[in-house]
Amino acid sequence: MSKTPSGPGRAARPARPNEKNASVKNQGNRPAAPSTGRGFTRFRRNHPILGALVPVGLVLLVLVTLVVAKTTGGPATAQPAASKIVAGSTSSEDGNGTSALPSGVLSAVESISPSTLAAIGDPSSVSAPTATPSKTAVLHASDGKPEILYIGAEYCPYCAAERWAMVVALSRFGTFSGLRATHSSSSDIYPDTNTFSFFGSTYSSASLDFVPVEEQTNHVVNGAYTTLQTPTSSEEALLARYDAAPYTTEPGSIPFLDIANKFVSIGASYTPQVLQGLSMHDIAAQLNDKNSLVATAIDGAANQIVAAITAATGVQPNTTTSSGS
Amino acid sequence: MAPERMRRVPGWIAATSCALSMLAVGLTAYLTVTHYTDPTALACPDTGIVNCTAVTTSSWSVVAGVPVALLGLLWAVAMAAVCSPWAWRSAARWLDPVRTGLATTGAAAVIYLVYVELFRVDAICLWCTGVHLTAVALFAMVLVARANRANTVGREVRPS
Repeated sequence: MSKTPSGPGRAARPARPNEKNASVKNQGNRPAAPSTGRGFTRFRRNHPILGALVPVGLVLLVLVTLVVAKTTGGPATAQPAASKIVAGSTSSEDGNGTSALPSGVLSAVESISPSTLAAIGDPSSVSAPTATPSKTAVLHASDGKPEILYIGAEYCPYCAAERWAMVVALSRFGTFSGLRATHSSSSDIYPDTNTFSFFGSTYSSASLDFVPVEEQTNHVVNGAYTTLQTPTSSEEALLARYDAAPYTTEPGSIPFLDIANKFVSIGASYTPQVLQGLSMHDIAAQLNDKNSLVATAIDGAANQIVAAITAATGVQPNTTTSSGS
Repeated sequence: MAPERMRRVPGWIAATSCALSMLAVGLTAYLTVTHYTDPTALACPDTGIVNCTAVTTSSWSVVAGVPVALLGLLWAVAMAAVCSPWAWRSAARWLDPVRTGLATTGAAAVIYLVYVELFRVDAICLWCTGVHLTAVALFAMVLVARANRANTVGREVRPS
């Protein structure tokens, strides 16, 4: 006997003419007479094509249900599989500790008025990057552009603060895409500081290369933050060289920002305290207000980074908005 | 008996399913190549929920060490083989269940992957959505072809 596919289609499938003893084999599967069929069986007999499309309809129904549940935020937001449950995660986060960037945040960061940035200037509450010895050669990427290296981690609240300033500053030399939202550890100092994640992002600039490395997520598994990215050997060498005395009293600290080997910044340029309790929308909404503490901290730190980049590489920032538009 | 089978599968089904499966091969090949080269290079907007990079670089983009994009490419190549004009003309009996099984596997995978995109990664990949639409359409094509053939054959063998 030949094997036939199982499933709802089989019971009503008549024998093919090239099957041996077809009439005998199908007697048990076929209803005694068409008139005795009921419900779905009768429907399939009378409308075989539509009947065959019922599974397709079910698939579409499931997909529509998923989309509706997502858009309404209903109870269908399922819990992750047991092997994926990690401390500190929320239902909207992926396994990398990030979620979609709230709409309007990036555009707000990229459109800070030059007059606001100029008015804020270099506030005393913000620390500037430290210059390396003047004879240090400019760090270039493989494409010949000056390279800016960032090493941090999603759990780190100081990295969370520094990323805001970095995005503002680097947006004056190029364009980010693929930025995601994340937050610092819920159990560390300055918990849940909302910020960007550079993981999976792309930075496009005609004059600079930006290389971000997010070493860990904000998820704790077995007592440690899960690994996200690992610095290359050359990046490790830069860490060993510049994330040390005299540039820091705590070697190996993050965030580590290397501006073409000409300037380094270790630690946050301002206190993450100013961001406490604020959503990304809240923070972005204040960036154009020169009188706000948030703008003073973030825009002021961004001004310092921009100045360091220009001094290190000679590349001038766009002077319209921070994104150059 | 092969000519009879060819006659019983409408030409539009064979042509459409072949075209859809080739489209799936193209889409999954692109996703696979970018996975192994530069996942952030996908031509895809980054406007809130739409973010291909977030999907293709997430921890869910690999199953048991194998990239989902590569699994999709293997599936698409298999579908292209069983939905080729030669396969539709073939009298080989194993083709029908294999074709149906592959199409069903594709539809089931679509449900899982859409769930992961919406509720785990919180982002949608447009290229992946293209593959998903293609997979569901292929599922429909294969089921219609199967029903059409069974219905045609059934009428022929039923005593009048």
